[in-house]
Amino acid sequence: MKKEKIREVSKKEQRKLYITEFFMVALAIIWFIPIYYLIVTTFKSPREATEGPLKLPEVWMIENYIDAWKNMEYPRALFNTVTITVLAVGIIVLVTSLAGYALARTKTKWGNRFFLLFLAGLMVPFQMNIVSLFKIVKSVGLMNTIWAVILVDVAINVPQGIFLFKEFIESSVPKELEEAAEIDGCSVIQKFFVIVLPLLKPVIATVVIIVTLNVWNEFMTPLLFIQGRENDVILQEVSRNIGQFSTDWTALFPMLMLGVAPLMIFYIFMQKYIIAGVSAGAVKG
Amino acid sequence: MELKKKREAGSLGHYFILFILPALIIYLTFSILPFIFTFIYSFTDYTDIKIRNLDFVGLKNYITVLKTPLMKIAIKNSLIYAVVLTGFQVILGLPLAVVLNKKLKSRNLLRAIFFFPAVFSSLIIGYLWNFILSSSDYGLINNMIHQLGFKTINFFTADRALFSVIFTQIWQWTGWAMVIFLANLQGISPELYEAASIDGADERQQFFNITLPLMCPSVKIIVVTGLIGGMKAFDAIYSMTSGGPGNATETVMTVMMKKGISDGFYSVGSAFGVCFFIIVLIVSGFTNKLMSKWSDAIG
Repeated sequence: MKKEKIREVSKKEQRKLYITEFFMVALAIIWFIPIYYLIVTTFKSPREATEGPLKLPEVWMIENYIDAWKNMEYPRALFNTVTITVLAVGIIVLVTSLAGYALARTKTKWGNRFFLLFLAGLMVPFQMNIVSLFKIVKSVGLMNTIWAVILVDVAINVPQGIFLFKEFIESSVPKELEEAAEIDGCSVIQKFFVIVLPLLKPVIATVVIIVTLNVWNEFMTPLLFIQGRENDVILQEVSRNIGQFSTDWTALFPMLMLGVAPLMIFYIFMQKYIIAGVSAGAVKG
Repeated sequence: MELKKKREAGSLGHYFILFILPALIIYLTFSILPFIFTFIYSFTDYTDIKIRNLDFVGLKNYITVLKTPLMKIAIKNSLIYAVVLTGFQVILGLPLAVVLNKKLKSRNLLRAIFFFPAVFSSLIIGYLWNFILSSSDYGLINNMIHQLGFKTINFFTADRALFSVIFTQIWQWTGWAMVIFLANLQGISPELYEAASIDGADERQQFFNITLPLMCPSVKIIVVTGLIGGMKAFDAIYSMTSGGPGNATETVMTVMMKKGISDGFYSVGSAFGVCFFIIVLIVSGFTNKLMSKWSDAIG
């Protein structure tokens, strides 16, 4: 709190602020009810959940979780989802930072043409191409592998990644630094990895957050390219099991919970960065 | 100046192509190539029983798309979905952002709560709301309605189902819009408001004369991405209604998955994809024009 910044706030305005705060807290509680309901229901029997849907459980049952864990083959599905996300995010950061750098530093006609080619991807919904994507993935022999999902997810996110990196490098990476490194005899590749890349931390954080959310929550690419169970992801396990066990409905809630839990934990700890990343990515993208 | 320009251009030299190559290969193979093939297939007779020696059939597939009621319903539903969802994101998200930009003690927590649903997959959010809106005993909302002594409301009739799905998506994505509006708001200089209040402008006048005009960039982002995102709607529909009852909630993507992939009508699916692309282009072009008119009118 900087003293000079504090404005004299009259008592009336202060009271207005309290009233606003009261209403906003009430609204937030209502907004949160579905998530609260999801959490408490996972620990209840069907009878208890029907009689008092919003009450805290009398007995905290965890049997439902154990069943859900087994039925979803959770460790395997989680491993697949994590593998796909980590590899896709890693590849995107690497290839789009390289390309973004090259495009930021090449102000020629061809540089501009390539940039426009990448940018055009922002206007094309990949969903329009599912038939031909299906065919291409099949003919290059990637069907039923996690690489189909990884590479298509990378391609989907390439335009935004390149855009963010290029913008950031143009505005915040001083050329003088690179020139100095050049004089010291750095090769172009050294220059990028030793001098430029460490300066890109803020935009890397933005790209990592946006792409992690995109890839983790992407349902259509696994649905299209992974049919077998051994390579499938959490979302597919949720939808498969909900179809199968629809009679015992409280047993399904732990599955939903296990479906969102990893991102929920990620969000609770990284909340500030996620919100900052999303707004940085959107305002510039 | 001239010297510097040359230096810039040459600073990467032949490394330029090396640096963009990895991104370019993936992008060409899995974005550009499928895009071209979608156009090619859309003029052929490609189906799951005719996968070789394709023949050119002209505009036949496009005529099929335009004549199939299911596809027309899908386009109409996707447009309704996109417009209603985006509209509410702006109408609810904007005031929410303005209020949460005030000096409230709990504002960080409040922001985090409103944004919370946007972190999750729409598929799972859809399943969750399926239980909440269900007409069975366990449906949370109908359970409460019973306790208040009213009759069950079926949220998934042919008339209501689409709007029930949209409602859940408004709940999920309003916080997303709010965060983007907030980032924009925080860039507005507080001096503008101080000057305005010295001139005697009340809060409402300040909102309409300062805040709203300067929010143009973020509103544009939400409107364009919201409309395109809404047109692509699939996950929440898949988990809540799978297109039903009847065809009441079929969207472009649910139909494309059913006809284009599952039923094996590859060429018609591709033609439908091209139509979808054209609609997205028209919608975003129209929005861009409308939004720049708005900023011109202000500027």
